Amino acid sequence: MKCVKKFDAKPKLDGSWKFVDDYTYDNMLYGQLLYSKCHHGYIKKITFPSNYDLSEFTMVSPQDIPGENIVPEPVCDQPYMVDDEVMHYGQVIMGIAHSNRRLLRKFVNETIIEYDELPAITGIKECLENEENHFGEETTVDHTTAEEPDSNWIYNHNVYYTPHQEQAYLETQGVISVYDPKESTMFVLITAQCPFFVKTGVEAILGDTVKEVIIESPQGIGGAFGGKEDFPSLLAGISSLLSYKSGRPVKMVLERSDDIQITTKRHPARIELETWTDPETKKIKRCRIDYRIDTGAYQTLSPVVLSRGVLHSIGGYYVPDTFIRGRMFRSNTPSNGAFRGFGAPQAFAAMEAHIDRIAADINVDPYEFRKTNLFRIGDEFPTTQKIVDENLSDCLERVILNSDYQKKNQEFAVWNKTHKDKKGIGIAVAYHGGGYTGNGEKILKSKIKVTIDKDAMVKIFVANTDMGQGAHTTLAQMFYEAIGHPREKCWVQLPNTSKTPNSGPTVASRTIYIIGNLLRKLAFQLKDELGFDNLEEYVKTHQGKFPSVSYKTFTPDPSVVFDADTNVGIAYKDYSWAACVNEIYFNVDTCKIELKKSWNVLDAGKLVNEKIAMGQAQGGILQGLGYGLSEFFYKPGYGRMHGFTDYVLPTTLDLPEMNIEFIHTDSDLAKGLGEIPMNFPAPSLRNAFHNATGIFIDEYPLIPERLFKAMEAQK
Amino acid sequence: MKISFTLNKEKVTIDVDPMKRLLDVLREDFNLLGAKESCGEGECGACTVLLNGKPVTSCILNAIHAEGKEVETVEGISKTKLGKLIMDCFDETNAVQCGFCFPGFFVSSYYYVKTDGEKDLMKIKRALSGNICRCTGYEKIFDSVMLACERAK
Repeated sequence: MKCVKKFDAKPKLDGSWKFVDDYTYDNMLYGQLLYSKCHHGYIKKITFPSNYDLSEFTMVSPQDIPGENIVPEPVCDQPYMVDDEVMHYGQVIMGIAHSNRRLLRKFVNETIIEYDELPAITGIKECLENEENHFGEETTVDHTTAEEPDSNWIYNHNVYYTPHQEQAYLETQGVISVYDPKESTMFVLITAQCPFFVKTGVEAILGDTVKEVIIESPQGIGGAFGGKEDFPSLLAGISSLLSYKSGRPVKMVLERSDDIQITTKRHPARIELETWTDPETKKIKRCRIDYRIDTGAYQTLSPVVLSRGVLHSIGGYYVPDTFIRGRMFRSNTPSNGAFRGFGAPQAFAAMEAHIDRIAADINVDPYEFRKTNLFRIGDEFPTTQKIVDENLSDCLERVILNSDYQKKNQEFAVWNKTHKDKKGIGIAVAYHGGGYTGNGEKILKSKIKVTIDKDAMVKIFVANTDMGQGAHTTLAQMFYEAIGHPREKCWVQLPNTSKTPNSGPTVASRTIYIIGNLLRKLAFQLKDELGFDNLEEYVKTHQGKFPSVSYKTFTPDPSVVFDADTNVGIAYKDYSWAACVNEIYFNVDTCKIELKKSWNVLDAGKLVNEKIAMGQAQGGILQGLGYGLSEFFYKPGYGRMHGFTDYVLPTTLDLPEMNIEFIHTDSDLAKGLGEIPMNFPAPSLRNAFHNATGIFIDEYPLIPERLFKAMEAQK
Repeated sequence: MKISFTLNKEKVTIDVDPMKRLLDVLREDFNLLGAKESCGEGECGACTVLLNGKPVTSCILNAIHAEGKEVETVEGISKTKLGKLIMDCFDETNAVQCGFCFPGFFVSSYYYVKTDGEKDLMKIKRALSGNICRCTGYEKIFDSVMLACERAK
């Protein structure tokens, strides 16, 4: 658990670290997407402005595609560009390139598209309330028993809504495609989480026209948070097609307003919960969950989000009789995609809110009620996976202690009686399964490569990108610490699909948990096989054996069995756990919630680098607080937000006093940490608001307008 | 139109459209790539530079705004003694994540430490409130600036 410094900190500060827009190529064109401003319809006519020399522009539309006009995804249903019918706002119609960036921008802005419009579904409720919009396969978990509900059990039935959330990576989506007709290669430099996804995407659109597609990561990736998981495939496909057609390098970097409007967001969800609670034992006996997500116009990777959402939707509670139904709903909005948490934040936003509602109904403190119902060793998830530790309970107990919850709870109740403004305190617990769901990691078979040179320099080749989370610092650390090698002699190489084996995408809290632990195993294996104590000494005395190349492939634990059709078995081998308590101050006149203090306790197992882990938790928790409080993306009659002016991100003045503690760090296993901080802050704020005012809000985020309406309704 | 200004302590003159954004002038005409475009509307501060010693968002200023003035970018600031001191503080706290907003935070932090420098968390939060970071949750940035205030005394 050392706090090794990040190797890229100083060049990132002085501006010398290069992001995709900082690279230029000779003879380079700039590309832009011409996209639909109509939600649903047919294109009647496209009129380009007349005062431009059209021969200076390169344009691509579906008829220029030598391969397939379908983005390869878990579900292949999204075209790169509109084929016939416009299915959503923001759908790409053409790619256009020109050598002058500003002139191109003007040209695209002045282009007029006329449509024959069709009826469209644009609102979240409009999409999720209407059963007719359901499409694709549903996913269910059946853990029901034949037992009939007892007549004295308390029945609670509620519907919870969660909104879109914008990743708001500071660096917008961007790519440079460089076509080399002599070598018949397409080289793509792209800000993306998953170089091999992009490779498959570019290969699909280009068909047999090039011999090799090579994807490389630039030095810097300016944040991603899931937003650069699947959209880059579409973007790179179109920029590569422009490069192929023009024969010149093409750089396409989205402006913020385009990026925020047309790229993937967190799925809005409608989660309906029904529970039956025994008033004697205070235990939840029965639960029915209807989990719906708005996928946008296409399914793309939504089934995977749905699956993770469903598998986390019971929360941290053991309920003997449970049935969960998950479904996707279609709307005429851009496809929603990956965002830190991947279906789980929605699940906890609903369940953790519901828990406080039951507690209020049966007149039990929310902490006591959680304590009574949290699963214990021997209990099981609705998938029948057995609970093997009580670390979630440990997180809860610890955070109650750290925050002095009970004392504050009493103090606030007294204070609120005599004050107009209100103070509140709220709890939430959460977990996150590490790595791909179910058999995912078995199918991925991630492969890593390590070379050792004659000067004992270790080079690590993995496809996982460093998008700010510090992966290339911590991955190297896991290897060199295992064999006791000096830091300056062990480096992760920039991912490049022609040099790096496919170690899978940089998603699902899997980079340290799967790839890091695989690197550690390889380090120990090399140490055993070669029999060295000091690698530098060994290399010096065995020069003939170097340079050496070693590979290692992920081998799944054979005891991990999951049936993806019935959702029975072990969905995730290892879970990270967390609990939080948030304290708020509610200004009754402005209806604004001020965040006061935030206590958070996490179990992510062993921490490879304490400061980097803390940074992940701090950043993730603030994103989670923003999700609960201010990040409002779609407004009927206004549409989607346009930029950082109307989409309200937390600033330095918005964050509470933060207390974060990691527990069970003496474990041998480094578990996933990337996503879990996102899963718990939002519902705890909602619970704190109830604690302050006695009002339950079942729709996020808790913006003043919504709170004002709720306060008015209560009068 | 010819525009003259001082850029990182050097006098420069360029022939440029006076309405070209100052950010584009710095990035394209001077190849100073430290200032980044993120929001393009003066909200996030990733393009922050000093204009006559004060932090401004260069994405909503035009070339003409620099006429006769002093512009300092992160490239210039990072070479100063104080700039290096602040950089060390950010490095030691492992504050930097993706790094896209950091040249902007660096310029704002430099301005604060240079012109005020009091080790006061609330003041630091206000000084940095024009810069948005999506990765870090700001905590380690505050730690870095607090540390820099202490060391710069």
